[in-house]
This record gives sequence, structure tokens and C-alpha cells, in this order.
Amino acid sequence: MMGPGVAWYLAVSGFLFGTGALGVLLRRNPLIVLLSLEIMLNGANLALIGFARNLGDGSGQIFALAVMAVAASEVVVGLGLVVALNRKRVTLDVDRLNTLRG
Amino acid sequence: MLVATVGNVLVWAVWVGAAFACLGSGIAVVSFSNPFYSALALIGNLGSLAVLYLLLSAEFVAAAQVLVYAGAVMVMFLFVIAYIGPRSDSPWMGGPSWQAAGAVLAAGALLVEIVVVIGLKASGQLANSEKITSAFGSPAEIGRLFLTDHLLAFEITSIVLLVAAVGGVILGAHARGGAEEVPPL
Amino acid sequence: MIWGAWICLLSPLVAAVLITLGGTRITRRTAGYLATASCFVAFGGALASFIGLLGRDGSQRELVSTAWTWISGGSYRSGLEVIVDPLSVFMMLIVSGVGALIVAYSIGYMDGEDEERRYFAYMALFVFSMLLLVQGGNLLLLLAGWGMVGLSSYLLIGFWHERPSAVAAAKKAFVMNAIGDATMALAFFLLILKGNSLEFGILGGEFSSTVATLVALGLLGGAVAKSAQIPLQTWLPDAMEGPTPVSALIHAATMVTAGVYLIVRTHAIFEAAPKIADLAAGLGAATLLVAGLIALVQVDIKKVIAYSTMSQIGYMFLGAGIGAYGYAIFHLMTHAFFKALLFMTAGLVIHHLDGEQDIRKMGGLRSVMPRTHVAFAVGGLALMGIPIFSGFWSKDGIVSAAFASGDALGYTLAAAGLVGALLTGLYTTRLYFAVWRGEQSDVVREHAHEGHGEGPRTMTVPVGVLTVLATIGGLVVIPGVWEPFLYWIDETAEPLVQATVTEDYATSVVAVSLALIGFFLARRAFEKGRQVVTNPGIWRVLEHKLYFDEAYDALFYRPAAALSVALRRNVEEPVVERSLDEIGSGTIHVGGEVGRIQSGLLRIYAIAVAFAVCVLVVVFVAVR
Repeated sequence: MMGPGVAWYLAVSGFLFGTGALGVLLRRNPLIVLLSLEIMLNGANLALIGFARNLGDGSGQIFALAVMAVAASEVVVGLGLVVALNRKRVTLDVDRLNTLRG
Repeated sequence: MLVATVGNVLVWAVWVGAAFACLGSGIAVVSFSNPFYSALALIGNLGSLAVLYLLLSAEFVAAAQVLVYAGAVMVMFLFVIAYIGPRSDSPWMGGPSWQAAGAVLAAGALLVEIVVVIGLKASGQLANSEKITSAFGSPAEIGRLFLTDHLLAFEITSIVLLVAAVGGVILGAHARGGAEEVPPL
Repeated sequence: MIWGAWICLLSPLVAAVLITLGGTRITRRTAGYLATASCFVAFGGALASFIGLLGRDGSQRELVSTAWTWISGGSYRSGLEVIVDPLSVFMMLIVSGVGALIVAYSIGYMDGEDEERRYFAYMALFVFSMLLLVQGGNLLLLLAGWGMVGLSSYLLIGFWHERPSAVAAAKKAFVMNAIGDATMALAFFLLILKGNSLEFGILGGEFSSTVATLVALGLLGGAVAKSAQIPLQTWLPDAMEGPTPVSALIHAATMVTAGVYLIVRTHAIFEAAPKIADLAAGLGAATLLVAGLIALVQVDIKKVIAYSTMSQIGYMFLGAGIGAYGYAIFHLMTHAFFKALLFMTAGLVIHHLDGEQDIRKMGGLRSVMPRTHVAFAVGGLALMGIPIFSGFWSKDGIVSAAFASGDALGYTLAAAGLVGALLTGLYTTRLYFAVWRGEQSDVVREHAHEGHGEGPRTMTVPVGVLTVLATIGGLVVIPGVWEPFLYWIDETAEPLVQATVTEDYATSVVAVSLALIGFFLARRAFEKGRQVVTNPGIWRVLEHKLYFDEAYDALFYRPAAALSVALRRNVEEPVVERSLDEIGSGTIHVGGEVGRIQSGLLRIYAIAVAFAVCVLVVVFVAVR
């Protein structure tokens, strides 16, 4: 295959995943947490597509499409939660949302 | 031969550009304090990823990425951000610093592990890649795979989408009889 | 004849059940009549059995009638059986006869009592239990009756349960009897182990001398507890807290004599363990003397008679221990007559004086209650063993049998018996003079003008009957002339010693003279206005009942109480209670600590998931 080998793509994918993880763990605004989550998912997608190309197997692309669909669903629900929170005049701060404590 | 080399250089150039755009926008998403800017950065991220997919002969997935992700999901994001209104908070977290340390440690550990595992398991095979036909990554191929080898995944995905849609409607619906005041945190 | 025995056994039980079930639907009087009638019916049944036995030959006089097999386990079998033989028929007659008289007496004595029905139910229960004890065809039923008489005694001593002293006395009686029950149970276990049966016949079987000694010792323990002999005698004086008819029936005539019955019934094993038989005789002699001494300083009329009972049962134990079974049982009978008579006349006095029991507050009652005086005098003369009253024939028989058994122990026992006669004379005379003679005390004068006679008919008639019996009851044994009673008992228990007629009369002369010496000494003391015992040191020791109660308190009660307090403080509270508490609080605590993981913060959860993934990746890669 022309261009970089699959290892390069995997490096980018790993980096994206790590960045997204940092965003999820360190940001306070739930919207940005969701966005970071999207980055993580996209990192995973990139790895899948890379391996699909490497192994000549189309299943990787199928998997990536399924991930995309699930990510979309999850974003719908997450944003719905944020909207509902906003309607109840609750602070949109992950550090303050702890009433589901044990 | 020259064509192949030129092609290779071209591919490399495109790759470098797309990769850096991807990483830069990723960092941007995590770093901006205004969520609107983060969302826009994410759109850039998705676009550069689509380019990378194209480089990997996944045309259909690239198209789906742009249409679905950048087109639908991000638009939804932007709608909600606009609806919520201007909100800026500090980019980084409140709370004890040990949480930050733990977070960095966890993310770092994941990264290291990914590298190590891939290095251990697949180092030999990563060098060579399979030969593929031109039908690889085409919509026809995707469609064929969805309807034969991965039919179950296809169906389940559709159900997941349905559930999400229903959930979204319920979450978004106005409460009957007026909303009660939730005690402030 | 067999049905007579069953009727005798069951009729008081029927009365007890009917009174209990009847509750407040029957009047109090009816309860009394019901109980009395059942006892008379029982006496009728006993009489029928007696006549039936009379008609048979000597060797044919043992019948066992089994209702059904009660317990069977492995090769052991116990039936619900009733034995009809001379000894049991005799006891049936005494128990039901004297019982009927005393229950009739109670109708008058307990008249007006709020809980009269409960009293009569308990009395009927007691009569049934005692009959079960004496009619039981095997040791197991005997033990059942044994326990039930203990229960009835507890219930009746504590009848006036609002009085803490009565409740304490009832508990004391029950606990001390329980000690005896325990030793008896151990003896029975040994019998089952070695002989595989609790029939009476097994007692004559082959046992090693250790086993026989242990069994006899266990049985003796039970007898000593039930009959209030040393060392388990401290409950009897306290038992006087119960109503006087109870003292008459249970603690004079019947329950306390159950120990003697036991020894005579199981004489075979005592003969196989002669040391234990000697121990029984020795304990009897010791009790005889000690009780006689303590009776000299008592001031409660019932307590004097109680100690007298203890002393007389000592005589019976003495007789049974040396093997003079016939005389021991004979003395049981005469004692039942005159002791019940004494208690009942004391009851008439107490009833007349509205509950006064202190003899220092009495005196000169002779002119106030002349007929009761005669009855009491007859009882006292019988007790002292003056001829021709009943006590004379029986008591001297025991002493002469002791002489006849010959060895050093025999002579010591005989000497003890003779000293006992002196003591009996002393305390009986002291009691008589203090209550009946001398000047009328203030209490007596207050009650002197109540014109309703000396008591209702239900009380005076039984007293009269017993007076007659106490006079002539001894005439069934006139040594050398006519001894049908001894022959009667001999069939069940062959005596081991037999005194000659001369020995008999010689001992009688000595004993009677000693009793008369006692009489004169006590009369002189009374006329001089002083007590028989003047030495204050001796008085104090005797007043404290030779410090038995204090000794038991220090030896057994205090350590047990201290041990239980220490256990509670050091084991129960810190270990058991605290540990139970701490299981709860510890769990809550741990739960609280663990619950802190659920902080509700997304970040924490996400970090946790990330770390978990890291760990799992390592696991999957390493383990494959």
C-alpha cells in the first residue's frame, strides 16, 4: 500500500483516543465531555478502518459503521439529558452533579 | 516507477496534513473553553478523519462520516449548544488535583498499553498489507457484507437507533403539569 | 381389685382437671367438695384393692397392671403400669385416707380465701401425684410421681404468692428437691445402662458393688432431698409458709415420707450396697438429733411441728437403713396420724387466733378450746411415744431393731434414738405448755369470746377422726402378741433385723422413761418461767438452725451468684452482646466506607473505568 503503513495510522488513532480520554476525564462542561467522547470513538474507528485495510477484510468497515450509528444514538441521549438538565435550571457542571451518590 | 514514487509522496503529504489537522483539532476540542468552538473543532477533526479514511480505501465510510457525523451529529450538537446559551467555564477541572493526576495517569496508561499490545502482538504483520481489489470499501461491498455476513449487526444497529430516537423524544418532551423546582446543588 | 387401684389413682386427677376446667363457673365450696369427694373415692378404691389382696395368698400378692406401653426404645421398654402389692396398697390407704381427711379440713380452713378453687385443684393434683408415686409399677413412673409431688409442693407452698417469703420458700423447696431429682436420675441412667430396665425387679439383679453403691447413693440423694434429711433439710421449715393443711398433708403425712417409701421399695439395691444403707441410717440418726435440738428453740408453732417431723422421719430413715422395713413403714403410718393431727389442731388454734403463730403470744388456751386441747394432747402423747398411743408401738420398734443389729453402728444408732426420745419429750412438752397452759395471753383473751365454737364441722370432724386413729392406730403391732402389720409389709420387704420380744419391751421401758424425764424437765422449766435451753450460746446456734442456711449460702449461692455476675460482665456483655452489636455496626461502618466510592461524580467513575480497562487489557494479554 502506498503512503504510511498501518502503524502510522494506529499511532494517530492512539493519540486521538488518549486526547479524548483526557478530555472526558478533565473537563467540567458535560457538552465538552460528550465531544471528547466523540473523539475517542473516532480514534477507535480509525484503528478499525486501518486494520480493515491492512488485513483486506471488509468487516472492519462494517464495525466502524456500526460504531458510528451507536455513537450517534448515544449523542442523542446525552444531549437530551443536557437539555433536560438545562430546563430544570441545574448547573451544567459535572463536578456538581452528584446526587446519584451511594 | 516515477508515477508510483510521486504517488507515494503525494499520499504521504496528504497523510501528514490530514494527520496533523486531526491531532490539532482533537487537542483544540479538549482545550477550548467555549463549547461552540470545541464543536467547530470537532467538525474539523471529523473532516480530516474522512480524508484519512479515503487514504485507507474506505470510501463509503468516509462518505458516511461526513454525512452522518459531521452532517447530522455535529449539527445536533451545535443546535443544543446554541439552545443552552453562552456558557464558559474554565477549561480544566475543579476538584482535587489527585483526580487530575489519576486522569492523566489513566489516559497515559491506556496509551502505553495500546502501544505495547500492538507492538507485542502484531509487530510482524503490520509491515505487510494485503492486496485488495478495487471493490474494497465500495458501497456495493459494504452493502453485500451488511446483508450477508453481518446481518445481525445491521438489524441490531437499527434497533439501537430506534431506541435512541424514542429516548431522545422522551427526554426532550416538555413535562406535563409544569416542572417542579429541583433543589439547587 | 385392679380396677380399684386404677380408680384410686385417677379419681383425684379427674377432680383436679374438673376444677381447673370449671374455673369460676363452679363455686368455691363446690371445688372443695369435689376435691374431698375424689379423695374419698380414691380411698374406696384403695380399700377395694386392700380387700382384694387380703383374699389372696401371701406369695400371690403382687400384681402389675399395665395400661399401655409408654416408652420403648431399643431393647428398653416402660409401660404405664400400676403395682398392687402390700406396700403400695398400704401407702394408697394412707395417702388417700389421710388426704381425704385433710382436704375435708381445708374446706373449713380455707373458707373465704379468694383463690380457693386453685388451692383445691392443687391439692387434688398433689394427691394424684403422690398416688402415682406409690402406685407406679416401675421406677420411671415413680420418678414421674416424684417430680409431680415436688411441683405440687412448690405450687402449694407458694400458694399465697403475694408474699415474697412464700415465693422464696417455694423456690427453695423446689431447688433442693431438684438436687435429689438429679441424683435419682443419674442412678436411673446407671440402671438402664447396666440392667436395661427400670422395673422394680431389676434392683435385685446382679450388679458390681460399685454400680450398686452408686445407684443406691443416687436413690438416697433423692430420698434425703424429698424427706428433708441432713444435708438437704433446710427447705422444710421454710415450707411452713404454705397453708396449714398443706403442711399437714404434704410436709408431715405424705410427701416427706416418700423418701422412706423409696428406700423400702428399692431395698434390694440398698442391701447390695450396705455402706449406703448405713449412711442412710446414720443420716437419719443425725437428723433426728439435730432437728430435735433445733425444735427446742423455735417460737413458731408450725416450725416446732416441722422440726418434729424432720426428727421423726430421721427415725424412719434409721429404721429403713438398718433393714427394719416393717417398723419404718409402721412408724410412717402412725406418724401420719399424729403429725397430721398436731398440724390440724395447730391450724385450729391459728384459725381461732386469726393468724397468730407465735407461741410466746399464746398461753392458757385450754379453757378457751377444750376439745382441741384434748386432740393436741393426744397427738403430743403419741409423738412422745407414751403407751398405748400409736407412736409408742412404732418408734420403739425401730430403736430395738437398732439394738438388735448388734454392731457398733447399731448401738450408736440405738443410743441416738433414745436421746431423740428425750428430746421429743422436751420439745413437745414445751410446746404444749406454751400454747395451752399458763395464763391467758392478751391475744388469747381478745379472741376468747368468739362464740362460734372451736371451728366449723368440716374442721373438727377430721380432727376427731385423726384423734381416734392416733390413739388406736398403733395397735396393729403388739410385739409378741399380734403383728399383722409387720407380716403384711414383710412380703414386700423382708426385714434384715428382728428384735426379740424382750429386747423390744426393754427398749420401750428405757425410751418411755426418757420421754417422761423430758416431760418433767420441760414442765419444770415452764413453771419456773424459763426456756428449756438457757445457755445463750447454744440458743443462738440452735436458733440459726446450726448455721446450715448460712453455710449453704456461702458455699453455693454466693459463688454461683458471683460467677454468674462475672460471666455476665466479662463474657456476655463484651463478647456476646457487643459482638452482636458490632456485627451490625461494623457492617454499617464498612458499608459506609465502601459507599464513598459512589461519589456521584462522573469523573471518578470514568477514571475507575479507565483503570479497570488498563488492568483488563493486561489480564487478557497475559492470560490470553
